[in-house]
Order: sequence, then structure tokens, then C-alpha cells
Amino acid sequence: MLKKERITRHVCPRNCYDTCAILAQVRNGRIVNITGDPAHGYTRGKLCAKGYSYLRRVYSPDRIKQPLRQCGRGSGHWVPVSWDYALEMICQKILDLKHRYGSTLPVCLNKYSGNFGLLNNAIEGLFNQLGPTTQVLGSPCWSAGLDAQTFDFGNNYNSNPENLRKAGLILLWGVNPVWTAVHSLPYIYEAQKEGAKVITIDPIFSETAKKSDLYFQVRPGQDGYLALALAKIIVEAEKEDKQFLQNYSLGWDEFREYLKSLNLNKLSRECGLNQQAIKFLAGLLINHSPVFIWVGFGMQRYANGGQNVRAIDALGALTGNLGKAGGGVHYANLRIWNMFKFNFHKTGYKNRYLNINRFAEELNQLQEPPVKMLWIANRNLFLQDANLRLLYQAIKEIELIITIEEFMTESTKYSDLVLPTTTFFEETDVVPGYWHHWLALNEQAVPPLHEARSDLDIALMVSCKMNSLEQGSCTFPQSGDASSFLDREFDDQAYSLLGIRHWSDLKDSPAKVNIPDVCWEDRIFETPSGKFEFYSQRAEQAGHPLMPALKEQRKPAAGKYDLRLLSPHSQHSINSQFQNLDWIKAIKPEPAVLIHPDTALLKSIVSGSMVRILNDYGEIVLKAAVSGAVPRDVLVCYQGIGDLNINRLLSGENTDMGSIVTGNHGLAILDTFVDIENQTD
Amino acid sequence: MGFLVDAERCIGCHACEMACKNEYQSEPNVRWRKVYPINETEYSLPERNHLSLACNHCEKPECLRVCPVRAYTKREDGIVIHDQGRCIGCKMCAMACPYEVPQYNVRLKKMEKCNLCDGRLDQGLKTACEAACPVEALSVIDFNGFTKYGFVIALPGFPDPSITKPTTRFIKPRIGAQVRRDQ
Repeated sequence: MLKKERITRHVCPRNCYDTCAILAQVRNGRIVNITGDPAHGYTRGKLCAKGYSYLRRVYSPDRIKQPLRQCGRGSGHWVPVSWDYALEMICQKILDLKHRYGSTLPVCLNKYSGNFGLLNNAIEGLFNQLGPTTQVLGSPCWSAGLDAQTFDFGNNYNSNPENLRKAGLILLWGVNPVWTAVHSLPYIYEAQKEGAKVITIDPIFSETAKKSDLYFQVRPGQDGYLALALAKIIVEAEKEDKQFLQNYSLGWDEFREYLKSLNLNKLSRECGLNQQAIKFLAGLLINHSPVFIWVGFGMQRYANGGQNVRAIDALGALTGNLGKAGGGVHYANLRIWNMFKFNFHKTGYKNRYLNINRFAEELNQLQEPPVKMLWIANRNLFLQDANLRLLYQAIKEIELIITIEEFMTESTKYSDLVLPTTTFFEETDVVPGYWHHWLALNEQAVPPLHEARSDLDIALMVSCKMNSLEQGSCTFPQSGDASSFLDREFDDQAYSLLGIRHWSDLKDSPAKVNIPDVCWEDRIFETPSGKFEFYSQRAEQAGHPLMPALKEQRKPAAGKYDLRLLSPHSQHSINSQFQNLDWIKAIKPEPAVLIHPDTALLKSIVSGSMVRILNDYGEIVLKAAVSGAVPRDVLVCYQGIGDLNINRLLSGENTDMGSIVTGNHGLAILDTFVDIENQTD
Repeated sequence: MGFLVDAERCIGCHACEMACKNEYQSEPNVRWRKVYPINETEYSLPERNHLSLACNHCEKPECLRVCPVRAYTKREDGIVIHDQGRCIGCKMCAMACPYEVPQYNVRLKKMEKCNLCDGRLDQGLKTACEAACPVEALSVIDFNGFTKYGFVIALPGFPDPSITKPTTRFIKPRIGAQVRRDQ
């Protein structure tokens, strides 16, 4: 008999630049192989190492197979329960709290970016239909840069990144695509083949720096000073784009005067590069065109984060690179997400929003009413949040903690109830990305494994249960499926942008979204003035300087914690994800902190020494790896070192910007200061 | 036939290695292809280079010479094939191979290694690793037909090629310039 075999289309929903399209080969109800989808014009049939490990995730024996109740939080004593029991427990608690406090505000949701599938927002939709609830607002990640570009350009758009191939000079500024966006490399290589120079600017000699023609080591968090120094040199040489500045910018005269007032010696000292090096780089910017500046999510995770990005935007503008194919300053693209109205998300209630980056602090301070039930979705809160000590405190008063997960994690340890959820191969959805200009569909390749349910199904089931216990207590739909929800999300405008008649047409191929290939090509910006704003009233209204001006950088206390700890994204995980898979474990290097040879000598540390990294917030113990790739005053410990939990060391300081676009300021993760001690002493 | 590893293009992303595992759904600790980080001290600057290596399909395969049960054969096109059906898991090949290529499968109690995707090649497909490489740094070359120059037979970190004459060839990485911080 012939084996039943079919190919299904998928798209990776992780918080990643590339949002790759995937094909799954399904034989007799089991996925036997996956490959990249060649019909996707940007990812072109290739996946990253994490992507190829997906079947280990789907068919992992460690998947959570049924709802689990922990008898005694932290006890590890898990008892399998039925879905009905779990739903009853959740809904009774919600109703009980509602009656005790006269409001649903004690019910709190903490959700972030674990799964960017459109319908994975269903839990938020559910919360929005329960009554006024407490929810977190903001992003620990990209907030500061989003606001900066909103002040300068008026919105967050990028050019189709395939335009990299048309660049004459590529500045990879605080971004490590060799690790975090491998699909961009072919376009960068194409540009190089045509004669483009590729330059990496980073405090760390990253893998991307290695593949570049030139590497500039900037002092951490001081990127803005380098941008201002470059701008000053270019303007002094009268090489700015006068035509652009005259017609399409606001506040150029003021900005020019501001540049004049800056002292090059000071700028050079602040950014850590000597004037000769900066002048050389300025020369490259003058003599190459177009210049494609890719602003990574690195330099904006500091107290000066937003200002750093504004300074780089200004550099891109005055060199006349905005709106050019192969040029521009690119950070993120919200156009694909903005195609959707998130109809199932809307609320008529007045929710109480907590700052996602001060969650523990705000939770502790809440009264009238306090939070008594916490639901964690799409997030490994206890590994990825800051100020964890305070968080452990804050949850003591919470009566029920629920986590939706595929695997047992650090966060399930602190949960009372864990609900098993599906991988994206077991559900139907679309995934809007934030970098390339494509949209792809997830078909359901196999039915949900074990007793796993999609986020949408969980929301539907909770709504049913709520209504069966108390009619009208939840207005989220009680029936429907992914298809009916997607039907409501796609409107004529979306279809016309996608050039398809129905979302199910994406089963034939991912679709290129018909948005401008080159952003700001008409030089009409979405700022109040319609121009590029060197000088932004909106920034001032939000409490920032009118023009990009950097504050004194956060410094360690004298003689204590004088090393800066950088914790960028690792090669083989997305935040906390993927680390538990056996294939990934086999290739992932042992957790280690990178330390400069001179610093290591000073501290009597050699490669392989067990070291303790500590500050007032916590400590972690791991191996040291001596490396010339890092500067002397910096330790580097990549994210994804599992249970060692580097976030124990984070203070929870916020970035300067972020509240305009994401609702709250971002997390200044890289303003973390520590000491290092040899543990074997 | 042999692999050509373009170390200038390679970004050490491990996609080749994982695509190989995905293709054959191999055991977690069995690595037919491995991406090795090259020690920083191998280059004058703190480079972080990588070598992506699988079986080198040697001209003089030691595995084939030492195997007591003739589990190894060398095809006319040069591919060294390991036949798991004949293998008794004695690990002689693993000891003889200078490149630590043959891997022991604990579950099957047998050896296994890269057969250069012989099945795929015979169907006219690319090897799984070559097809997966996002930067086209890996390819399979036919030594009878190749006309390109600029290949080398070893890079720092690769054992002495004189013992078994591997067919793997490399393109050297360029080293970019670096401007380090003054303070």
C-alpha cells in the first residue's frame, strides 16, 4: 500500500529577524522531515540550526502532555489533572476574586514574545473580555529604538532588507546577524561581491565582525558619540547632502550648530576610538554610496539607548542616505503587524497596565486591589525578567499562578497549574515578522500531540467554562477555530497588500507584502512636520532633549562592580528557547563568561576557572573563557545559559525611551555592573 | 568526489550539521558533520573561525583498511561508504581515523558516518548539508572535473592530511582589519 504523504507549509514564530518559511514532510500522520521553503523570497529555502532542530521539539519526550497541578509551589510534586479540572480551577478562582474584590483587576496577565503567531495573542483577547484586568505593557527589548525612530522619521519602517545587496557601504551597528539573522548574509555577500565594504561596529569582536572587512570597537553604550563625531567630521568637510537637508529635514541649522559646539576630543574619548580611526570611517561614509546602516537591538539597551539611535538616524540623514535603495537607517518594520487589526484583542474595559520592565516592583506596590492570580503566557518570566529577587517576593501573595508551556521551565517551577500547549506544527496561524517583507502561513501538519491545546483553543475553553459557571462573565467567543478567527483578521486591505483572495491561498506560497520596497523613498516622513526631524518637539514633549544628546553614562560605583556585563543573544537559542533540546545541547558550547586576557591576569583567572560573577542583585557561578574578543572593562556572557539565570544580576534599570510606541520604557539590560572572583581561590 | 569548504563564506552557523541530523533523524550525540570552533590562538588575531567537517572521503581511508568485517567500501566516484549491516561496532575505524569521523551509535551498538548523502546524490539531489547552507559555503566537487584554483588541503585546526589523503578542500578565510578601542 502506498504511504500517505503530504507537504505542509509553516513559518517559524520565534522572536527573530528572519521569520523563516518551512516545509514539513508528513507521512502517516507524523512529520518525518523539515526543510526551508524555497517559495519564500527572503529566506529562500534555508533554515538556521535552531530551525532544523524543530522535530526534536515537536516529538520531544519532555513535552508537557497534560495539564499539571503542582501540589505546593516549588515542591516539584506534579499531579496530572484533566482539562476540565484545570479550567474549573482557573474559572472558579477568577469568579471568586471577582466576588471578593468586586472587580476582575486581581487577575493579571504577563505575556510577551515566545510565539509571534497572530492567534497566540488569544490569551490577551480572553483577558480583555473578562472585565478590567491587570496586564503588563511594553517590551524588554526594542522599545528605546522604536521611539527614537518615531521621533526622527515618524514611524518604524524599513526597506526590504534584500536591498542590502545594492549597498555601497554596509554598517552593521550593534547587530550580529551571523548569529541572529543568518538569512541576511547572502545579501551582504552579494553587496561585497559588487565592491561594497562591510563594517561592523560593536563593543565585542563578534562573529559578524569577523566576517566584515573592517571592525570598529566602540565603548559599550557610547555609539551615539561615535555617530555624532562622524557627523561633525562630515559636516566640517562640507560633505553633507545639502539638497536633502534643505528640502526634507527640520532643524538642520540647529543641529549643525549643535555639532559645531561639540568637542571632537571629547567625542573620541567617549566612544573609545581615536580621531584617526573616526576620520577614516567618516571618509568611507563620504566616499561610498548608498550607505545601509543596520541598527541592531544592541546599543539601545542602555540608559542612553534611544539617544544612540537618534544620533545614528541623524548621521544617515545628513549623509543623504534616507530613501535610497541600498541606503537608509534600518531598525525594525512594523508595517506587516500593522496590516492586522487584532479584532479579537479589542477591549471595552479599562485595564490596569503595569510596566513590563518594573513588573516585580509594581506588583509589590499594588493595592486596591492587589493581584491574586497571575497567568504567564508566551514567556519564561522567571528566567527573562529583571529584579528576580523582588519577583520571588511579589508572588508570595498570589493565590494562583498559571503557565502555558510546551516544556517544564524555570517559570513552571513557580506555577500552581501548567497548561500544555501546541507547537506551531499543530495549529493554524500566520506570523507577521518585523524585518523582511513577507507573510507566510502555518498549516496544521498534525493534530495536537498528547493533550496539548493551542492558545486560541485554551481561550475558547476558558470562555466556555466561565459562561457555564456564570452566564455572561466572559464575552470572548466560546466557539470557532483558527480559520474563523483568521477570516475576521484579514480584510480587503490586507488581501490587496498581499495580492491574494483568501488567507488560505498562502498554502500555495508565502506572499510578498506590497509595501514600499524602499522606505521613505518619497522623502515624506510621518513626523508632525512631514520632514526628517533633527529637532523633535515630540521628543521634548516626552521629556527628552530636542536633538540627540547623550547623558552622562551610567557608571559603576567607585571601586565596586567596575566591570560591565554584556549579555547579548546567543547563537543557539532565542532568549530561553531551544536550550532544552538534545540536538541543540550537543552543539551548544558550555556556559562561560568571556574575559579579556589582561583582566583575567589581574584576577588570576585562566580559561576553565570557575568564577563567581556578582553584584547587589545576585550572583552566578560558571566557567571563564579568556578571549581577546572582548574589551578589558567588559565581561560577556551570552543569553541562554539555562538555569544559571544571568537575569539574577539585572537591576531592572530602564532605557531613556520606549513609552511612545510600546507604552513603557525598555530594559537597560546592558547597564549591568559586576565583579568577578575566582571561585577556586 | 569530496567536500569543498569555503571558510571565507562559512559563518559557523551549524545549519549544515543540523540539516544532516534532520535528514537522517540521527541520535542526539551522533554527529556525522561537526562545526568546530578554531582556537583563537590559531590566527594572529582573536579570530573566531570555524571548520565544518564531515567524513573526508579519503583517498587512503584508514577506516576501510582496519575494518575487520569489510563494512567499508570506496565507490568509484570516491565516496567512502559505511555499511551498517556488516558493522559489528568494534570501533577499530574510530580509532584509526585521524578526524574522529566514525561515530558510535549507543542504541544500535554500531558505528555510523557520513556517506556523502549517496542516496540523494544518486537521485541528482545535493547533499543535505550543501542544500541547507545559507551562505553557499559548502559544496561537493568532482575532482575529475574541477577547474577552479585557490583551494588548500588544510587549514589551521585540521589534522595532518598526509596520513590518509582526505578529499576535503578549503578556501582560506580573509582576515579583515580591526580598530580596537584606545581606552
